[in-house]
Amino acid sequence: MEHEATQLEKQHVHSVYENTAAYFSDLQTKAWPRVRNFLLEQKPGSLVVDIGCGTGKYLSVNTQVYNLGCDYCEGLVEIARRKGDEVLVCDNLNLPFRDQCFNAVISIGVIHHFSTKQRRIKAIKEMARILTPGGQIMIYVWAMEQKNRRFEKQDVFVPWNKALCSRRFSESNQSGDKGEFVHSAKGQDIHPAQLVISECSYQNNLQPETDSKHSRDVDHCLPRACCMKISEEENRFYSALGRSFRSWFFSRSLDEAALRKQSDKMKHLKHEGVWANNTVPIQHSRHCSLDLGHPGALLNEQGLDDDDDVFVESLSLKKPQWSPATDALKDLSLNGEHQSVAQSKGDKASFINGPVEDRDHTCGCNKDGAGKSDASKFFKRTSTTDSTDSALDSAVSVGDQTDAVLDTKAFMRYYHVFREGELCSLVEENVPELQILSSCYDHGNWCIIAERRG
Amino acid sequence: MKLLTHNLLSSHVPGLRPGGGFPLKIELGHPSELPPEPLPDYEANEEFLRRLHHVLLEVEVLEGSLQCPDSGRRFPISRGVPNMLLTEEEA
Repeated sequence: MEHEATQLEKQHVHSVYENTAAYFSDLQTKAWPRVRNFLLEQKPGSLVVDIGCGTGKYLSVNTQVYNLGCDYCEGLVEIARRKGDEVLVCDNLNLPFRDQCFNAVISIGVIHHFSTKQRRIKAIKEMARILTPGGQIMIYVWAMEQKNRRFEKQDVFVPWNKALCSRRFSESNQSGDKGEFVHSAKGQDIHPAQLVISECSYQNNLQPETDSKHSRDVDHCLPRACCMKISEEENRFYSALGRSFRSWFFSRSLDEAALRKQSDKMKHLKHEGVWANNTVPIQHSRHCSLDLGHPGALLNEQGLDDDDDVFVESLSLKKPQWSPATDALKDLSLNGEHQSVAQSKGDKASFINGPVEDRDHTCGCNKDGAGKSDASKFFKRTSTTDSTDSALDSAVSVGDQTDAVLDTKAFMRYYHVFREGELCSLVEENVPELQILSSCYDHGNWCIIAERRG
Repeated sequence: MKLLTHNLLSSHVPGLRPGGGFPLKIELGHPSELPPEPLPDYEANEEFLRRLHHVLLEVEVLEGSLQCPDSGRRFPISRGVPNMLLTEEEA
């Protein structure tokens, strides 16, 4: 499992950040207030390290302390260096620091990139190791529970699009410059099946039993479009562009795969193999499919060929319903309407009600068989009702759905999103050297502050 | 890389003796203007403190390497950035 984990992270974390690092220098992302405060509260002369510092956003918040940053990605570290930050390249799982030498550690939007529970624990333990007794750590991870939707599963791929990178963002929803941008297909040679295939071939690497020809079959590929997390700031941006494209892809959980390997060895589940995740997400009242009037119809559908393709309909917002970030996690009820933009350029979104009608189109495994057009149906573009601008409209050809799907260079980033309480439990049960001082939900993230005991 | 950072670094090559891997040897020829040992009562010695501050925080290694004193493994420093990543085989 270690090898699979490193491979997954290599492909869907490290190489994505390396390849997209160049775009980040243009981004000006603000520091999260809570993180800022945490840093500003440190005593002058403290030794503070940002593990997973990216471009060094937090390294100049408090000039009274010694700020050190490190990241796995050389490209991002270079950018920080150019800003004059003190940085180095290293691995969170094997920090090159002495024991107990830092007064404070921050880990903002980092450990959700680790693909197994063990690795996440190891990352936290390493950070605890370098903390001096009484020293504090702040950890931020992406939450499964989001303002207007909920990730259906915890292991997801989120596409990234460079089209928006030259734009200035006032804030990012996560510390790392996550940049979930609307995808521009303009001028790209897109073959959605290729994107899908690249994931399949990865999948196949892990399932030697799988018939390799399936890798080219769209039917068996990884789940398709869903919703992308969008912060308020990004949403304003998207509104301005007139189009919001939300999609993410569900990854199979390596943790589950490990469990399944042990218990399901003999049970063959077609192409799913060790990847199969038969656990159906529990539909609760806030679930979108319920709101759409078809209780769990789509997502609970065991009839799906590829039962791991949990497809969540793209959600629309009648108008942005972003409550202030400081609100407690409010009602996650979703607008019942499902919009899809397949239609025309510049038009307002067309509305399709209910997922059931679209099921054939939107199922992760399309029963129609492989093909460009089928794959394209997986990727639903959504539109806010305020669709006005045509900046992205022009990028979406009329009726050419294949271009409307993701660029093969879309750089899918892997995330394990955390449930409420998961981060706390992780620390309480596995990292006894840390004592949790506080935890909260902030801007779509679960956050904890813990102190090194002793 | 500032020398204060160097103070915090340790080699994490697997299999080192306990307490091993520190301090990493900086390889480049730059003499320091510090005495080999701290003078008694150095906290009050303005001159010494000034020099110490300078060496720790104002001198940067731009190109060179850090060598693990136990395993000999070298970690490169380029453009002021040390790369402490181990290869998959090493880790």
